[in-house]
Amino acid sequence: MHGQADRRSEAMRSASEGTRRRAFTGLWVAALLAILTFLVIYPVFMLLLGALTDTNPVVDGIRLSLSHLSIANFLAVLANPNVAEALLNTLIACGGGTVIAVAIGLLFSWIVVRTNTPFKGFIAAASILPLFAPPLVAGVAWAILGSPKTGLINTMFKWMGSDLRVDLYSMWGLVFVFGIYYAPYVYMFTSSALRNMDPSLEEAAEISGASPVATLFTVTFPLIMPAIVSGMLLSFIVMLGIYGIPAVLGAPTNLNVLTTYIFKLTNWSPPLYNTAAAVAIILMVVTGLLVYLQQKLLSGRSYTTVAGKAFRPRSLDLGPWRWLTFAIGIVYLLIVVVLPSLALIVAAFRKFMFIRDVASLFDMRQYSLTHFESIFDNPLTMRSIYNAVEVGVITAVVGGALAFAIGYTIHRTRVSGRGAIDLISTLPVAIPGLVVGVAYLWAWIGVPGGLYGTIWILALAFIARFMPDTVKALSTSFLQIHRELEEAAWVCGKGMLGTIRTIVLPLARPGVLASMTLLFVLAIRELGSSLFLYTSNTMVMSVLLLDYYEGGNIGKTAAFSLVQTVLLGVLIGGANWLSRGSAQGNVARTG
Amino acid sequence: MTATLEVTDLRKQFSIGLPAIDGVSFGVPAGEIVVLLGPSGCGKTTTLRCVAGLEHPTGGEISISGRVVSSPASGILVPPRSRDLGMVFQSYAVWPHMTVRQNVIYPLKHRKIGRTDAARMVEEALALVGLSDYADRPVVALSGGQMQRVALARSMVYRPQLLLLDEPLSNLDAKLRLRLRDDLRVILKQTGMTALYVTHDQAEAVVLGDRIGVMRDGKLLQMDTPDVIYNRPADLFVANFTGATNELAGTLVTCNGRYGVVDFGNGRQGEVALCQTLKPDEKVRIALRPENIAIGRPDGANTFSAKVLDRRYQGTQTAYGIELFGKRLEAIELGTAARHQVGVEAQVALPRECLWAYRDSGPASHD
Repeated sequence: MHGQADRRSEAMRSASEGTRRRAFTGLWVAALLAILTFLVIYPVFMLLLGALTDTNPVVDGIRLSLSHLSIANFLAVLANPNVAEALLNTLIACGGGTVIAVAIGLLFSWIVVRTNTPFKGFIAAASILPLFAPPLVAGVAWAILGSPKTGLINTMFKWMGSDLRVDLYSMWGLVFVFGIYYAPYVYMFTSSALRNMDPSLEEAAEISGASPVATLFTVTFPLIMPAIVSGMLLSFIVMLGIYGIPAVLGAPTNLNVLTTYIFKLTNWSPPLYNTAAAVAIILMVVTGLLVYLQQKLLSGRSYTTVAGKAFRPRSLDLGPWRWLTFAIGIVYLLIVVVLPSLALIVAAFRKFMFIRDVASLFDMRQYSLTHFESIFDNPLTMRSIYNAVEVGVITAVVGGALAFAIGYTIHRTRVSGRGAIDLISTLPVAIPGLVVGVAYLWAWIGVPGGLYGTIWILALAFIARFMPDTVKALSTSFLQIHRELEEAAWVCGKGMLGTIRTIVLPLARPGVLASMTLLFVLAIRELGSSLFLYTSNTMVMSVLLLDYYEGGNIGKTAAFSLVQTVLLGVLIGGANWLSRGSAQGNVARTG
Repeated sequence: MTATLEVTDLRKQFSIGLPAIDGVSFGVPAGEIVVLLGPSGCGKTTTLRCVAGLEHPTGGEISISGRVVSSPASGILVPPRSRDLGMVFQSYAVWPHMTVRQNVIYPLKHRKIGRTDAARMVEEALALVGLSDYADRPVVALSGGQMQRVALARSMVYRPQLLLLDEPLSNLDAKLRLRLRDDLRVILKQTGMTALYVTHDQAEAVVLGDRIGVMRDGKLLQMDTPDVIYNRPADLFVANFTGATNELAGTLVTCNGRYGVVDFGNGRQGEVALCQTLKPDEKVRIALRPENIAIGRPDGANTFSAKVLDRRYQGTQTAYGIELFGKRLEAIELGTAARHQVGVEAQVALPRECLWAYRDSGPASHD
């Protein structure tokens, strides 16, 4: 009798608990979807609206914009020859850059993985180094090196008595700088594909009578073709969204690509926000198509062959030629790192950029700290650093927490609606930073007393922009924790939240910290989306650097570039240190 | 068409550790299949890869059909593509981006063979391995056994003078392995090719090989026909590796040509076969196959009393653990009936030609 009553009350209690849990999960999913709508869907929707109206959001407000919907504005933009020219320039620059990037990336992955070139580890490190260079700083450095009149390279040529001149303020310059800085994307894909390839596939070709070169082109490259194409598409996608490099190299000759053209549109007076929105949509569609293509390719069947035994790395004995491949590595390092750094240093410490001859280059009296003094005399400089750090911290903390919540909900729960959460949170992959900026501009500029003009609009835009990467990085950190560790905690009587707090977070901490630090670094160097969202009070470092460059003072620009580079270097070093801690943690966990 | 292979004092030293190959010499007459057998890490695959030219030996000489293809001492190193040989890899190594036909025709394309000839040769090779109906399928749509047949067809299509096979069956499942093993010998004999075959599976070696070379720690211990390897192993390791897993210890008392008398302790003596030149009073170890221990059939001079310790019924045979001279031995009785009870004392007969005596060269000469 007694026991039965007990059981009944227990059953009632667990039923009410079940209802409560369902209500909680429903609320949780709704909250995440609301946040994502606010961060991603609403701005993109407003961008679309902007492209389809001809009203000014600042003057007329949203209400009027809605009543003026028509496709005519968008069609007018499509018919605009300037847009067509910018689109064509973009495709040429990115296409050419991609060709160079593929050539360099493929060459280096072959050198590092398949040959006995000396100091391979060093070359492998050099091959991914350009990833860390902010595009604007790279652009500035190459402007100093390659400007047709005052460029250091031309000064050197003149001193050597050569008639050779380079002009990087051109399409060729753009293609070249794009190519050398975005080769690492190709390298990363192809080198891992080569490393995972069964060496006997190549040996079989050699036994069959194919020469090493024939083997490379009939077996090796066709086999890693999916990786080559993925890397190619990714580097193309990244180049599409870059603002800094074409802004610096294209401006002097009025060479516009889509990104620089969009910014120009918003800087005219009156600003052409509608046209900018329409061009941004074009950029977004092109990017989206390519991202879709790449994802499709990656999910398709790859040629990676699995054999029972571990592969012994196969390395081609190049004989004396290995010093040539080593020299190629050194030249690449010289071009992407050493020369630009030297250029920045010279320009930053030199009183006047005019260099009469090489002797004057080494004249120590020409050097001083004057540019550093002058940039730090400007109150904007310190404020922009402070702002950048503040935005970075907000982005890292809020974005990190949100990404963790999203990642955990997608990967470790079975709540309904997680598919939608997954989809919306990966959407920004296809939206270049600059387009995110325009979208946020459209979303908030017409809302009085709202976000526009605050630090938060920058932070929210960055959170949305880097959401897919952050979710992915954070997810790997807790997906490595075996599910049974969590299940054990549930069996011990901990609830879901308690388990996350006491088991998942402590174990995933190093990975979570590393992802957040990375987010911080990305937010600090982000230029594309900041361009449209800053005001004089919320000026950030990357925008101020562009300001200095457009102000025409190379010395100050170089000095501030160095300040940023050093700051970023320290931050990336710290991020690496943190993620190394996480790697060790992983070893401890699995071993 | 087919060639002889001559390997003389082959050595391969990697940058660290013991030599992978330590002075291996053997010859393969035209049309013969030689199997290199040994545990993993014994140097058999490295030897094969040196013959292929994929690995560069540090000493010795390799010649195919009398032509020296590798001789570090005189600076000769012919690249694999010029050695005119075929090779089948453990991981099949069929190219997944091609169809069956494209895989098989690949070697012909690099050999300046006319298109009609090439097409005919591909058809012949595919017919030989029984894949004619699959010519235009992508290889990734094939099963493991079929992929290995493609690899075989590809390695034979240009009629190389020498075929190298590197554990070609080890990635297949057990049933398929048995079938392809028998097929492989038929195909090889049909083409009359000289073949060098590497495996760690003794059953495979016995079925496939005209001669078997047993390797260990980079050395070739014995190379002989399968029945000699099985009935007169050259040393304790070869005996153990080919299945004579029982071991007795004793002292040689007298020698009498091929046979001798051994004292197993406590005055128990028995007659054994001498597989090495041994002198009286030497300590010896005796290897003995489980199948050659006859329980309960007192027969001949070597009959001793042993105790049955345990019994494991395995269907078509029964494995016993017995105690003899204070040592535990394995014995196998064929047939579906298990006749001996655990705990009984039984008479066991050990035929003298099945007791192989070797010099006792210290403890743990093998595992």
